[in-house]
Amino acid sequence: MPDLSPLYTALAYVFPLECMHARFMQMAMAGLLLLAPMTAAMGIQVVNFRMAFFSDAISHSAFAGVALGLLFAIDPHLTMPLFGIFVGLGIVLVKRSSSLSTDTVIGVFFSAVIAFGLAVVSRDPASARNLQMFLYGDILTISNSDICFLMGLFVVFFYYQGKAYNRLLYIGINPVLAGTHRISVGLHQYTFAAFLSLVVMFSVWAVGVLLVTALIIVPAAAARNIARSAGGMFWWALGISVFSAVSGLIISAQDFARTATGATIVIVACAWFVLTSLVSIVVKTGR
Amino acid sequence: MIDATHAYSEPVTFEPAVFFEEVTVKLGGVSILDRVTASVPRGGCTSIVGPNGAGKTTLLLALLGEVPYRGEIHFSSKINKNLRMGYVPQRLTFDRGIPITVNEFMNLGFQDKPLWLGLKTDLKKRTRKQLALVKAEHLTERKLGALSGGELQRVLLALALAQEPDLLVLDEPAAGVDLHGEHVFCELLDKLRAELGFTQLMVSHDLATVTHHATHVICLNHRVAAEGPPCEALTDDTLTAIFGMHMGLVDSRSMPFGKSVCSAACCKGDRLA
Repeated sequence: MPDLSPLYTALAYVFPLECMHARFMQMAMAGLLLLAPMTAAMGIQVVNFRMAFFSDAISHSAFAGVALGLLFAIDPHLTMPLFGIFVGLGIVLVKRSSSLSTDTVIGVFFSAVIAFGLAVVSRDPASARNLQMFLYGDILTISNSDICFLMGLFVVFFYYQGKAYNRLLYIGINPVLAGTHRISVGLHQYTFAAFLSLVVMFSVWAVGVLLVTALIIVPAAAARNIARSAGGMFWWALGISVFSAVSGLIISAQDFARTATGATIVIVACAWFVLTSLVSIVVKTGR
Repeated sequence: MIDATHAYSEPVTFEPAVFFEEVTVKLGGVSILDRVTASVPRGGCTSIVGPNGAGKTTLLLALLGEVPYRGEIHFSSKINKNLRMGYVPQRLTFDRGIPITVNEFMNLGFQDKPLWLGLKTDLKKRTRKQLALVKAEHLTERKLGALSGGELQRVLLALALAQEPDLLVLDEPAAGVDLHGEHVFCELLDKLRAELGFTQLMVSHDLATVTHHATHVICLNHRVAAEGPPCEALTDDTLTAIFGMHMGLVDSRSMPFGKSVCSAACCKGDRLA
């Protein structure tokens, strides 16, 4: 893995705060600056496709992914994203080929992955200690190799978004209409599910299973309150997400706060949501 | 430009643009379409008529490849290669809260560059022209979710036309639009068809609209009850067969010279005069 310490040192200059002197804070900042734009972009589609429950199911498959790693003695860093992708594609496959409603299909997968994860973990009480880390997340323990991987994902992800953003939005508005426009609806649904699964799994490391969905949808929901166009919604979501991640990390490290980083990030994002809701109410009543 | 009123007297070639051969659709064990055989003449306005639940929309979805079917759907040899279809759905169901302007919506399928990097200027110009075709150029910067039913249908029509279709498929395009609006919408379609020369296939359950605008009718109630020009296909017997006691909107015996007559207010007097 390449040595990224110059980057970390540079971050300490960009954010000249006392808490940023620690290397683990610099690495956490790097991780969040890579992750936040991805969760924001995904959030737009998750909100527009009404897929919040889908991302919830993926995040909860983290337990099962880790459990699989423990079972076969493979690094959970590998089994978790792979299992997430597997579950994501599975949901799309079953949804496309059955007449069941989407939330029913997701509900079945949701229960199955949780039950499986709990079953494996309950056999080995020692591994239960790891679970707390997944419940609350721990961006402060992010490793150099995690950040390298996130960088790779960041490049591939935004290349994909650049190519597919308009088409995904088209499918989100109406899949039949998009289909008559010669857009391959199935292919886009599968690739979207795979990317969403990867982003969700990385977010689990950062903010924990309980808060992943919030990290993804809250900035997008806040952006939707005030954006007037699809292009505008993207930049608002991106801005709110990055702002929340950076300020959440910094606040959580202050002496007066000493809160969990993931929770603090989500609280800042929720404050944005409240603010934008108020703005949209004022704008509507003002008309 | 061809005057819209001449569109009715334009000769329609009866070489089919689309030919449905024994198309059968079963969904969940229920037979929706039963060996439907019918043709859609090229360059004309073909209307599928039938009561609710007769399988009209399903036939269109089979044509669009959205439902699995048995049987064959043939396209005219001349337009078989890269046949371009435009589709105007019956009341587009979408999340009206999505912030997207009409301009952006119209270009989702045309611009590869993501919308967050802005719309290309030439595409913006093109969209304005296309919206002008359906008299909706004032809607470019409006939010899609804030459009009225009639405005949305116009935008959807403009989008379908922007794809330069050989075949324009419309599923009750004027449903939810008031009667006057529906008439205006169909007039507009007649005019555009004469100008752009596409084949039009639409579903309608309003017989007044059909007799007024269609050049060819497919009467459908799970199977084809009758097919042909409106004056021949819409007989009392056929209408009773597919609708039961029909509503007396159309008097099938008063259609001289292949002209159709309906009892809608718009037709009273002036069309035959």
